[in-house]
Amino acid sequence: MSEAAVAEVESPCQGELDFERLYRSSRDDVYAYAAGLLRDRAAAEDVTAAAFERAYRKRSRFDAERGSARAWLFGIARNAALDELRRRGRQAELSADPVDTASLPDSDAQRSELRLLLDGALGKLEAREHELIALKFFAGLSNAEIARVIGTSASNVGTKLHRTMDKLREACDGAL
Amino acid sequence: MERSRDHDEIATALAEARPAPRQAFVQELDQRAAAGFPRRPRRDGSPLAGFAAWIRGLPPRRLLFAGGTTALAAIAVATVVIASNDPNSQRVQIALDHPIPTEVSGLGRASDSAAVHSSEAESSVEYTHSRESSKAEGLANLARSREIERSAEIGLLADPADITDDSAKVFAAVHDANGIVLHSTTSSGKGGGARFELLIPSARLGDALAAFSSIDEVRSRHEATDDITKPTVTASEELRDSQARVDSLLAQLSTAEVESEREAIAAELHAERGHAARLRNQLARLHQRTAYSRVLVRIQGGNSTESGGAWGVSDAFGDAGHILGIAAGVTLVGLAVIAPLALLFLLAWLAQRLWLRGRRERALDA
Repeated sequence: MSEAAVAEVESPCQGELDFERLYRSSRDDVYAYAAGLLRDRAAAEDVTAAAFERAYRKRSRFDAERGSARAWLFGIARNAALDELRRRGRQAELSADPVDTASLPDSDAQRSELRLLLDGALGKLEAREHELIALKFFAGLSNAEIARVIGTSASNVGTKLHRTMDKLREACDGAL
Repeated sequence: MERSRDHDEIATALAEARPAPRQAFVQELDQRAAAGFPRRPRRDGSPLAGFAAWIRGLPPRRLLFAGGTTALAAIAVATVVIASNDPNSQRVQIALDHPIPTEVSGLGRASDSAAVHSSEAESSVEYTHSRESSKAEGLANLARSREIERSAEIGLLADPADITDDSAKVFAAVHDANGIVLHSTTSSGKGGGARFELLIPSARLGDALAAFSSIDEVRSRHEATDDITKPTVTASEELRDSQARVDSLLAQLSTAEVESEREAIAAELHAERGHAARLRNQLARLHQRTAYSRVLVRIQGGNSTESGGAWGVSDAFGDAGHILGIAAGVTLVGLAVIAPLALLFLLAWLAQRLWLRGRRERALDA
């Protein structure tokens, strides 16, 4: 999502939340985050729908001074996803529905191989690291937004992301 | 693929591996978004859970407005209920509806019995002395052997224009009861009133008080009893002794032969007869005190709520103050009850939030 689009969602009309615009700009990101975290497309769809439903009901409570609209939305989506995780006890089954590499263009053999390696490496990450990856690369949040969503500092998010990327790289290199 | 991957390469691969939603799901979600995300049936199906979700979904302003409206309605209802059950209002209403019953009014057997236990037993129009009839009768039987002096005071509120008529009704009631008007004053017009000091045969005191109470609005009623058995018995015994002494002196006088002795006995007899006369008077006064009850009837001119007199601004202020006082009291009591509950609710809510957050985080650690 572009910076301009984010700004439009955050202050469309004198600080009020333009929910329609937020929905349009974040729908796929929320789904990607949920699917990346849960690794279950059906559950991701449920969580995405529940997240937008909850956000719509609570839209009047959005406070722009406390963070961006996307951070607020992903906070709600995260709660819905964790509720789903908690309810279904699916944490141990994260490898059940891996990243869909088949849906991606496979013209580049090297990239295709990397994706397969990444898929295996993602399965070895801890859930919190997996969530960071989902928020950063699937949902496209900034470090500050991720910090807002998971309740930590942006620098801490940066540090953890760096370590997680190192783990992914080592896992990919080790698999070669 | 022997070289080490760098972060950019991995990031690019991750971005490319980003899951995309199914088109069917996107369409369905778009439709739900267009419809304002109508509620889906809940999995647990609990009505309470649905209600809680609905409450949670309300905007804070609407929630505050709804809460404030509910609180105001509760205060209004409680104020109306309390005002309608106000003892003062009820007391006036009783006076309006019926003359106060004799048994309840205090000079019946119940108050007689009260006198047995205290030299000065008082009762008021608030009916604090109403008892079970069997108990009252038992005590009344005991009281019949005693000498009880009774007194009563009734305050009536009358429209200034009715004072003269009400005074006439008082006289009529006294006449009907074979009572005696000791003293009376009547002044008519604005600020006027009347005052009657009466002696009413104790046996008819209840009827008389009922008659006075029915004349106009009763504002106050006070009754008292005084047990004068002891002085009555003492006076009777002293009189009997004195009479015996007189008889004895008469016998001595009839047998006395010496003039000086006759004169001494005659002097003593004269003194004893005087003493006996005083005792008889004293005893008669005591008997009169029990046979007749002192009653003070006061009629005060003013706007009567009973007669539907002109209800003015001052009455409105008075009523408004009364209602506001009750409302303030209700609010204060409500706050005293609600504040601790609200604090507990807040603490429970915070605890629940912390617990839920902890459980969510643990879902990631599992």
